[in-house]
Amino acid sequence: MGIDLNLVGAKGAIAEEAEGKWGMVIDQDICTGCQACVAACAMENNLPFVGEEDAAYGRTMHWIRVERFWEGAYPEIKATPFQPMLCQQCGHAPCEPVCPVFATPHSEAEQINLQVYNRCVGTRYCANNCPYQVRSFNWRDYHTQPFHANDVDGQLVFPFHNQFNPDVTVRRRGVMEKCTFCIQRIHTAQDKAKSEGREVEDGEFTTACAQACPANAITFGRMDDHESLVSQLAHQKHGVKHLEELNTLPRITYLKEG
Amino acid sequence: MSENISRRDFLKLATVGAATSAVLTGCGPSSRYIKREPYMEMPEYTYNGLSTYYATTCRECAAGCGLVVRTMQGRAIKVEGNASNPVNLGKTCARGQATLHGLYNPDRVENPLKHARGTSIEIRIDESVTWDDAIQVVADALKNNDPSEIGFLMGMAPDHLFDLVSDLAASIGAPAPLRYGALSMFEARATLIKASENLFGQAALPFFDIANADLVLSFGANFLETWLSPVAYTRGFAKMRRGNPKRRGHFIQFESRISQTAAKADEWIPLLPGTEGLVALAIGRLAAEAKGGAIPKAFADVNPREVASMSDVSMEKLEHIAQLVAEAESAIAIPGGSALGLNNGLQAAQAVLALNALVDNFGKPGGVSLSPLAPNEDEYHRPASAQEMNEFVGKMKSGGVKVLFVHGVNPIFELPASLGFADALASVPQVISFATFPDETALQADYIFPDHHGLESWGYQRSATGVSQSVLSGAQPAVSPNYDTRATADVLLAAAQMAGGKFAEALPFKDEVEFIQSKLVNLIGEADGFFSAPEINTFSAYFQQHGGWWKKSSELVAASASSALDKSLQVEAAEFAGEGEYFFLPFVAPTLGEAGANKPWLQELPDPTTTVMWNTWVEMNPETAHHEGIENDDVIKIVSEAGEVEAPVYLYPAIRPDTVAMPFGQGHTAYGRYAAGRGVNPANLLGSHFNEAGDLTFAGMKVKIEKTARKQILSRLESRIGVYNEGLEEH
Repeated sequence: MGIDLNLVGAKGAIAEEAEGKWGMVIDQDICTGCQACVAACAMENNLPFVGEEDAAYGRTMHWIRVERFWEGAYPEIKATPFQPMLCQQCGHAPCEPVCPVFATPHSEAEQINLQVYNRCVGTRYCANNCPYQVRSFNWRDYHTQPFHANDVDGQLVFPFHNQFNPDVTVRRRGVMEKCTFCIQRIHTAQDKAKSEGREVEDGEFTTACAQACPANAITFGRMDDHESLVSQLAHQKHGVKHLEELNTLPRITYLKEG
Repeated sequence: MSENISRRDFLKLATVGAATSAVLTGCGPSSRYIKREPYMEMPEYTYNGLSTYYATTCRECAAGCGLVVRTMQGRAIKVEGNASNPVNLGKTCARGQATLHGLYNPDRVENPLKHARGTSIEIRIDESVTWDDAIQVVADALKNNDPSEIGFLMGMAPDHLFDLVSDLAASIGAPAPLRYGALSMFEARATLIKASENLFGQAALPFFDIANADLVLSFGANFLETWLSPVAYTRGFAKMRRGNPKRRGHFIQFESRISQTAAKADEWIPLLPGTEGLVALAIGRLAAEAKGGAIPKAFADVNPREVASMSDVSMEKLEHIAQLVAEAESAIAIPGGSALGLNNGLQAAQAVLALNALVDNFGKPGGVSLSPLAPNEDEYHRPASAQEMNEFVGKMKSGGVKVLFVHGVNPIFELPASLGFADALASVPQVISFATFPDETALQADYIFPDHHGLESWGYQRSATGVSQSVLSGAQPAVSPNYDTRATADVLLAAAQMAGGKFAEALPFKDEVEFIQSKLVNLIGEADGFFSAPEINTFSAYFQQHGGWWKKSSELVAASASSALDKSLQVEAAEFAGEGEYFFLPFVAPTLGEAGANKPWLQELPDPTTTVMWNTWVEMNPETAHHEGIENDDVIKIVSEAGEVEAPVYLYPAIRPDTVAMPFGQGHTAYGRYAAGRGVNPANLLGSHFNEAGDLTFAGMKVKIEKTARKQILSRLESRIGVYNEGLEEH
């Protein structure tokens, strides 16, 4: 859905496009920082764990992380509200134009940022250019490290491989990856709706993080449907978008305390 | 299993026999398992690209959250919450999500075995132990010992096995099985229940209706982490904040460090450890004064100014909180965790519960009630307190236990070393473990007869608290067993039959499922169930389909405590064991819990407040550390009266300068490749002191710290650069 910037009214069209198609609202007032979303994401999307040493080098493969900061000093110290940070699926994504091999294109159909694993050559330009620092890079073939295997009659058997989600690619070394808004779930829901001759309903499916969240702090849905829950929540007064001044048009709205 | 009818064949027959109503009934035991098939031989009920879902119950803690497991071709792919189960309403915590890392853990006990105590499971005395041998061993152990010298140690889950063993023990005259879990010790559950008994005359778990409160005072209760039923209480917390558009609930946490729960509080009060009860009384008195009228007798003897000077909570703060309590429409006060794990813990719990009496919230929305009993429960069976475990250790030491059966608990790791469980085990001639994983206790057993993983198992779990309804969560296998394991219930049933006589009479069931059905049959015809059925086969089919059975409406028992304020409440001074200058606060690692260390994705989840992964750390106030000349990642030695451990320091700005804290959950010497040799166990520092209710006074220790010359870089998610100006010069 390209916008011809020479047309009269282009500004309005940009504002409309800024809403995007899929969006998310994260309520920081009720997020308890429990990490259920992080675990759910890892289980859904075949994320590898990297072990203590690589984790210390900052090579963890979290697609979503929960940030907390400190304000003040003891005893008047406060933890800032927990802040789940994941790919913001920007409308104007800084990661996209820097990829020399077009491995980070923008999906016209779903209006989210894609990552094409078999195109990626691992330059890591996209991660450098992401102001939210939400991309993670496969420094090794973590899934096939012999440490995780058992030797069964001379063959390495990886019990964890039984758990792979067949709807999600398993990534290899040298490939960049990031949150996809659980695009496999989007497609499954759309295929089902199409086969039943209807539209996808609001709340019919959701992302793995939102589904797990015990506090119901994460809401996912169609931003271009003004009746949807996510759209209603996003337009509350205390909704903010992160690093909005960079004009990245993030698709995730954070609700502040109060 | 080949001679039995498989699920696949059964479905064929069922179709032919026109028995294809919505619910399939009457499956034989083995056909209830789902086989893992290669893609070439797909069972008819699976289609390429389509998943099969099974409702079951999470066993990562004892809360009894319902799960729906997504499977494909017989493999479990993903765990989601069961949306209709009232305990969790479709939600899960991180531990629930990672339960698959237990199922597919590369370090499971794969077959029954006999090995020398203390050696790895790879080194076996007898290579050829079969399940028939195992049943013979169990039968002999039951038959050849005096019943009074048989010991059963069980975990907090699953309940059906606890019921089976209780029935067995009762009818053969053996002592009732003991249940224990480190979580119940660190939440000081026995103290909470004792306080509730003293106040309400009933030993039940209180239910705290946080959802409808507009002011929550929590004294050490970590209800957003591991306390009692964390998913249910997290939902309550979210409703308290956002459930009513007209008001946002105010939350105050009293604790000596900012825990994950305290991080969500609007006000954090870092009081002096051991003064929780006094502060509660002072708030009660000031609130009663602010409300006007007579001061209730309960608060009559406390002097708030004195409390303010003793507890490090200023008089202004106390008055401010008391004002909030007096003005709140529905205030609630929750006692738990470190506030109760002290010699004055029971008095503190009663003082905090008395605050609820002052605002008269018993049985009201936003107040305290008693949790309903679960279906098929006669009374609430609380887990053993540390003192009861200590008595049992004494019995073991004196030779009073000839055979010990252990299931679902790892006491060598979960009990403080000072209680001497590991040594006492040496005095037990025969130890039989049913562990799924090679944990420390299993390695000290003579035999390991591994149980299935929870996702391969039948069962049920009672919801103890956190939800207003009476709930029995049901479990069924989502996948067929991956290894040559066997349900412990089936082993015990077969062994009882083999032993014959009173043993066979005690458990006249052909298999685990028949036993479970014998318990479910009482629910047929019970009023207010969300489903019912005329006979047991249909009932248990629905039970499987929905993942349990529960009542439709709230069954909270309104606690009556008219006399709660009538007698004066006293809180003694807290006593601290040991000579050091620092208070020691062990807390359960929120994401690991007591048994999560062997699940690698749980290891790689950053701790919510420190962001440390894969290891143990010591939290220390930066001012204190500076004073002691200690920097981030310096390894220090912590010495208590019971022992010493070494761990790297994390400079934690949100802890009292006179307190050091450590997470519990790491420090395994066994338990598989992801857990063993990683971090240290703070329980090794805890001495054996108990409060009136029998709980360990785990928060009542003082420790010394000593520098070592070593450094150990902690893996953390947060950047070090710029934290306390660290690294700025070099970069």
